[in-house]
Amino acid sequence: MQRKLISGIVGILIALLIGALIMLFQGYNPLQTYAALFNFSLFGLYPLATTLRNSVPLILTGLSASVAFASGPINLGQPGQLLMGALFATVGGLYLDLPAFLLIPVLILLSMLGGALWSGIAALLRKWFNMDEFITTLMLNMIADFFTYWAISYPFFDRNAYSPMTPQINTKAWLPIWGEFNSNVIVMILAFVVIYFVFNRLTAGYEWRITGQNSLFSRLGGVKIDKNYVTVMLVTGALAGLAGGLVVMAGPHRFLKGLGANYAWDGVMIAVVANNGLIGTLLYGLFFSALQTGSLGMELITAVPKEFIQVIQAITVLVIVAGRGYLDIFLDKTLARRKARERTT
Amino acid sequence: MQVLIEMKDIIKVFPPNVVAVDQVSTDFRKGEIHAIVGENGAGKSTLMKVLYGLEQFNHGDILFQGQPVRFQDPGEAIAHGIGMVHQEILLIPQYTVWENIVLGAEPVNFLGVIDRQQARKLVQQKVDEFQFNLKIDDKVDDISVAAAQKVEILKLLYRNVSVLILDEPTAVLTPQEIPQLFNELRRLRDHGHTILFISHHLEEVLALSDRITVMRKGKKIATVQSSETTKENLAQMMVGRTVLFQSLREKSIPGAETFVVKDLTYIDGTLHKRLEQINFRICEGEIVGIAGVEGNGQFELVNSIMGLNKITQGQIKVTGIDITQAEILDRRRFISFVSQNRGKMGAAVHASILENVMMTHHRLNPHFTKWNGLLLNDNYARQFTHQIEEQFSVVMDRMDNPFRSLSGGNQQKVILGRELLLDTPFVLLDQPTRGLDVGSIEYVHELILKMKEQKRAILLISADLEELFRIADRILVLHRGMIVADLPTEKTDIEQVGYLMLEGKENDAKETN
Amino acid sequence: MNIITGLINGMISGATPILLAALGGTFTFYAGIFNIAMEGMMLGGAFFAVLGSYYFDSWLIGIICAILGSLLMAAIFIFFAVTLKTDEFVTGIALNLFALGATTYMLRQIFNVKGAFSNPGIVPIPRIHIPFVSQIPIVGEILSGQNLIVYITVLIVMISAFLIFRTRFGLRLRAAGYNAPSLDSSGVSSAKIRTWSLIICGILCGLAGAFLSLGYVTLFSENMSAGRGWISLAAVILVNGNPWGIALISLLFGFTDGLGLLLQQYMPSQFTSMVPYVATLIALYFYSIQARKRKT
Repeated sequence: MQRKLISGIVGILIALLIGALIMLFQGYNPLQTYAALFNFSLFGLYPLATTLRNSVPLILTGLSASVAFASGPINLGQPGQLLMGALFATVGGLYLDLPAFLLIPVLILLSMLGGALWSGIAALLRKWFNMDEFITTLMLNMIADFFTYWAISYPFFDRNAYSPMTPQINTKAWLPIWGEFNSNVIVMILAFVVIYFVFNRLTAGYEWRITGQNSLFSRLGGVKIDKNYVTVMLVTGALAGLAGGLVVMAGPHRFLKGLGANYAWDGVMIAVVANNGLIGTLLYGLFFSALQTGSLGMELITAVPKEFIQVIQAITVLVIVAGRGYLDIFLDKTLARRKARERTT
Repeated sequence: MQVLIEMKDIIKVFPPNVVAVDQVSTDFRKGEIHAIVGENGAGKSTLMKVLYGLEQFNHGDILFQGQPVRFQDPGEAIAHGIGMVHQEILLIPQYTVWENIVLGAEPVNFLGVIDRQQARKLVQQKVDEFQFNLKIDDKVDDISVAAAQKVEILKLLYRNVSVLILDEPTAVLTPQEIPQLFNELRRLRDHGHTILFISHHLEEVLALSDRITVMRKGKKIATVQSSETTKENLAQMMVGRTVLFQSLREKSIPGAETFVVKDLTYIDGTLHKRLEQINFRICEGEIVGIAGVEGNGQFELVNSIMGLNKITQGQIKVTGIDITQAEILDRRRFISFVSQNRGKMGAAVHASILENVMMTHHRLNPHFTKWNGLLLNDNYARQFTHQIEEQFSVVMDRMDNPFRSLSGGNQQKVILGRELLLDTPFVLLDQPTRGLDVGSIEYVHELILKMKEQKRAILLISADLEELFRIADRILVLHRGMIVADLPTEKTDIEQVGYLMLEGKENDAKETN
Repeated sequence: MNIITGLINGMISGATPILLAALGGTFTFYAGIFNIAMEGMMLGGAFFAVLGSYYFDSWLIGIICAILGSLLMAAIFIFFAVTLKTDEFVTGIALNLFALGATTYMLRQIFNVKGAFSNPGIVPIPRIHIPFVSQIPIVGEILSGQNLIVYITVLIVMISAFLIFRTRFGLRLRAAGYNAPSLDSSGVSSAKIRTWSLIICGILCGLAGAFLSLGYVTLFSENMSAGRGWISLAAVILVNGNPWGIALISLLFGFTDGLGLLLQQYMPSQFTSMVPYVATLIALYFYSIQARKRKT
């Protein structure tokens, strides 16, 4: 645990350093830039609240990817599942009229259903026809992208709007905001606790984990891996769908074109840096959210465009992933060399 | 004789801290057959890999014809005329014999196009020169293991190596194929080649080699002339104490019929008949061994019993209950299973020891869960792991450490412990001692005999005939997916079983003699 | 007649980038690398193609820049997956992210635009009109007047098949994928062969990118590879890496691309845009059915 924390922090620092070098090379002031970046994301109540709010879809799609990868299925379909979840919640929010304390949970469930439906298609394609989920989920992403685009352009189009979007959903379905804090964070934390408990304490979670490590061993041990595969796909799809639903219910309260574009690969990215660990996913999700949230302020204060954050993110991923593998080999080799020297003296 | 290679004070440490070769000095002479013997894990293979440039050594010197050398990769070693045949066959099954032989030293036309005619001609010349019985256009996938080994040797001869390193070449051969290999090796020696030969079979070593280097736990114990030593002497140097080569079999009266396989036939996806009309029964308190050259249906038999294959025909029963169509979990109520491949089938090596111990028990033993099987009972699992640690004298640090942090012997003890405590009437053991050192092998054999005392029915699949003769009550010989013999152990011998493994029938010639 | 030649020409230009990337992928496929970075390499290539073409007023320099840009991506892949031995899948994911982030950033930084950069100053890769052939009715419209890259691609298909199955390099390349320890033990470094396969993949994905931004259209837009790298990966898997098979399957995908455009008259464009992805799923379905038949 400690080693992971240290390698994570070192990795982030190295990535920021490389980022600083790129900025220096382009004639920007890195200190000023980073100061602006973190001023607008961490320091102060409003920045912090915004970072937290923005972290919700990142962490939920990250959890979706982490749980999937750690259990075996290579579910790369978070973007599509997120979109379908958002669409389901939006449609529910447009046509249902219930008191808030009922409507919000119903829409949350609807969004999870939407995501699970989309990942369920991939799961069934695998179960029935043995089609690799890592390609089918990717193709389903593109299809979901166009499908939701169509849905907000024609059947659920807001006639008063100039670009494709739906009307606003029932105000009773808007997630409550307390001061600066949006309650979508509460839902996310709840989801995290549940999935953490399922994954680490339940018999099912144990089977998922071991299957992810060695499916043949699990199968021989009596684990019903086919059934678990479908369950994991549905659960991870529901997590990504939930992310989509919360995006709609916490933010614009409608489905806008390009809603999911920002989170396209973020979930997979976070799972990859966190090495599929759930707590790691939470922490890296917060970190990437801080970067993304602060980027607007950074662009405002300094001349560095906010897209620079994407470069920093990718460098962070590369540095941490490579460092994780290499650090172990390097340490082991040093130990071996020392041992050999001991033998001769 | 002239010294060709000299190794001085070689140390090789595998990261992080496993000393595989510990200050070993030895020399190899031109034109000798030099055996390197030792138990599994004694460092013999590592020493040879260091020489061949596959592993880098941490300390010491290697002199080749008096010149210091340090090969960075096998390519450099081959360029100096040193070649190695590995324990496992390292050929490309999709390629033909000649393609495998020329790979890495292909004759080419302009533009790097392979000159097939020239290549086939050169290979055929070598085949003829050394009188190897090989068809150069056969696909390696279709030839026997013995033939593949010849291809490996020829691959080196094609590169004109003068030093041949062979890592346990007899491990994959049947008793009948071994003398042929030895004749070929002697012929090569007489051509002036130097042969370094790794083995732990002392009879073979004494029969073949001129000199013998004995290793134990990474250290060299001695180098001796084979004419001046005995099997007992070598064994003592190898193990560090006197070893008794004796059978552990005890007369026993088998009880009721426990495990029955009836008319089992399995046809795989490529429509090959992998198992044909397999019939056998095992009684309680009986150990039945299955002998056979690898790839004659053992794998399919194990998979059929465990439920990984859907069998085409037949029936499997345990204690009278038909499990032919049962799900794996239901089979596990009756079957304990130890596989030959710990990392692939026996454990999740990156998961903790605790998590590995829980497998299968978590579904079959209600103590392992709470809330109707929904929630894991961590306390009980820990207690249970402790029990295994004590009962099977496992050396472990913490049970939350990854499984792979255990040594091979201890890994096998944990697996055996987990499976035996399932308390099933039938135990399936697929090469349970593969890759273990002598001490651990003895322990495993004792455990198997203890299970026998507990009146369990045991099926032991093994590639090691000595093992079968040591503990099995009956030996079945599997040949091309059929059981060709069912022999009480006391009424047969290694030669007979070896012949059956190879030919699938009795040696008529021998009987008429 | 116009519809048919239009459809065929649409098929050819739709197939070209997928085919090029898939041919790159087939080299790494044979070398035994799980390479999912074609998407990122192609995207990098597309960006640098526009960069080179715009600043040097030359499509040739555009192509060269595309190859260099894509090779840079390949170099990162080599450094991580071959040298540091990082997991190939994870490296591929990270590289795709890096390509997306870096091109988006540079689009903003260098061209000062968001979303897309199009400018009359970008010199497209020319179409080649073959004398006499272009006179032949119908056939001439197809065989002649294609983009230069299209003709190069046809050549590369043949060269790839030749390299992989006839030459020393090919024998070693396939050996690296079938059984790397065997190749190493034969005195040929499998790491070196893998490195070369990635370099070739980089070059071909660079060409694919150049075709996207200087041939298919003349502009660069954010994430313009739009999943084509993934489709090309599917193509490689579907035919087990055979270059001729890849050519065929890429044409099929190209056809669905063109078909989508044709169908736009009858249904919303969102559905016609889905066609290539649905086609990939259908192709995978048939592949899986076949694979299962072979197995059971």
